[in-house]
Amino acid sequence: MNKYFREFSAAAALGILLLALAIFAPSFFQPQPLLSLATREAPTLVVACGMALVIICRQIDISVGSQFAVCSVCAGLLAAMHWPLALVLATTILIGTTFGAFNGALVAGLGLPSIVVTLATMVTWREGLRWLRQGVWVDLPNGVQWFGLPQMTGQWTLVLVALAILILLALTLKHISIGRFVYAVGSDAEAARLAGIRPRMMTFGVFVFMGALTGLAAMMNTIQSPQVDPNSGTGLELKTIAAVVVGGVAISGGRGTLWGVFTGLLLLACISPALTHLHVEAFWGKAIQGATILLAVVADGVRTRKQRY
Amino acid sequence: MDKHGFKKILLRHETILFAVLVAEWIFFEVIGRNFGTYDNTCDILRHSCEIGLLALAMTPIILTGGIDLSVASLLGLCAILFGKFWRDAGMPIPLAVACTIGVGALAGGLNATLISWLRLPPLIVTLGTFSLFRGLAEAITRGVDTFTNFPDSFLFLGQDRWLGIPAQAPFFLAAAIFFWLLVHRTTFGRSFRAIGFSPEGARYAGIPVARRVAMVYVLAGIVSAIAAIIYTARLGQAKADAGTGYELFAITAVVLGGTSIFGGVGSIPGTLLGVAAIAVLHSGIAHALLPGEMAGMLTGVLLILALAGSTLPKMISSLRARKAALKIPPQAA
Repeated sequence: MNKYFREFSAAAALGILLLALAIFAPSFFQPQPLLSLATREAPTLVVACGMALVIICRQIDISVGSQFAVCSVCAGLLAAMHWPLALVLATTILIGTTFGAFNGALVAGLGLPSIVVTLATMVTWREGLRWLRQGVWVDLPNGVQWFGLPQMTGQWTLVLVALAILILLALTLKHISIGRFVYAVGSDAEAARLAGIRPRMMTFGVFVFMGALTGLAAMMNTIQSPQVDPNSGTGLELKTIAAVVVGGVAISGGRGTLWGVFTGLLLLACISPALTHLHVEAFWGKAIQGATILLAVVADGVRTRKQRY
Repeated sequence: MDKHGFKKILLRHETILFAVLVAEWIFFEVIGRNFGTYDNTCDILRHSCEIGLLALAMTPIILTGGIDLSVASLLGLCAILFGKFWRDAGMPIPLAVACTIGVGALAGGLNATLISWLRLPPLIVTLGTFSLFRGLAEAITRGVDTFTNFPDSFLFLGQDRWLGIPAQAPFFLAAAIFFWLLVHRTTFGRSFRAIGFSPEGARYAGIPVARRVAMVYVLAGIVSAIAAIIYTARLGQAKADAGTGYELFAITAVVLGGTSIFGGVGSIPGTLLGVAAIAVLHSGIAHALLPGEMAGMLTGVLLILALAGSTLPKMISSLRARKAALKIPPQAA
């Protein structure tokens, strides 16, 4: 219980929210809107998994939102040129991987602080995209939306893909040596090095992986609508970091599970539709999200403070 | 590293930044239209006041090894509350200003409490308050309400000149002098650096770490409130999205100015130069009729270059030290 206090408290908060919805607004639990919500959040879940890895490795990546936007627009442009969708998917992931490798090279290779590096790349990619595209939306040809499948199937595909990635990564982190290396590097890079792990390679790898997941998420986002918004992904970094932190991953690295991240994301994702169903004005969404983050860390702070003395 | 060599490196960073600034100025003077005029200089100064204030307040925070992402959100919240106090509560402007600064101090106090008393990581706390403050501003205005029609005597502060300089410049100058004294001429400044190098070490040296850390966040709250008032006076309106993204410019300016994001090293003159470099870049690009997006891109590139430039000598010297320690004999040719 103590070890997984953060995960349990996020799950408890989610349970209370769902219970309140079940009592006061049963209309929330209709299959179709819920599926739409899950589909909308599926790309976010994929990015949040990557973010969790980065944060467990004691780094941070705030450029994911901009990477996401660039990848989405690239995917849209390639699809509009009638490339086969599989090729578009591969290219998008490759582009994301390149962005990730760029961050990784600066952080792991030159030893620069990740928050500043990704701050710089965030601004650079976003402004570069605005410059090149001037905020034009990309129209997608027929047959791209939902991979040409019926909407229902397409939505289920996206949700299942996201869940599959979550489960695979969670198992890898827990049971496979390379997953444990991420924790080792995050909790003490020097000790990890003495144990024969190469911290720089791990850090680089985590950023590359983050980029690849961002590319995949961008593709998952692109096929959801008939057009690509050049401003997509704005605020994605904060949303995913919030989900990761609420889910109990320590920002100081080396601690956290993907199950917690999943719970945290569900909690944050349910807040704004829940507000609508509970007849609270939607303007409160952001404030409540902020308060949730603060509550999550304060609960932890108070608890560990008690333990310390 | 001895004190003298250390000082030299600090000096060098600021000298390089100053050279970049001069180069920027000459470049835009040559290719831009009406760039180097007195009017435009005033304009640059006017537009950099709010970001400059935020960057000044951010410097001691980063010196202690912390960060504050919430300053721009607090700017938005304070702008809205200032409008509320003046229009809806019917307060006279000076009283509304005082109340707004009080709110800023309280909001900074919230950050300070969570960070110094509960010892939570500043990045996460201020990420939470980043959302919270902006969200409150949106909730209070319901996302649409705008406050306008401020009296001319108030707009003078943001839009007019006083003795030939922009009316808000004296406030900025006063803040700059205050922070320079605080960081470079008092024991507070030394304690910020000590905390940034090692909080535990600072505690053993008898520095009240929690109180000092709390102080810099409360100061940032107060300065954000002042920036909010100047922002409102400059634009003549207060909206919930006031100052969106300013926190990134402020952090960029501080880091560009040579302050280490890990804490312990940095200076106020460096921050001022960083603010100037960014402001001149933005204005110059607008005057040279280049696409405005280039300013953001170049800021990012400049930031990476500044960082890489500051670590490369360190890396080379550490490599050299390692080689010397290993005493590798020179290979026979």
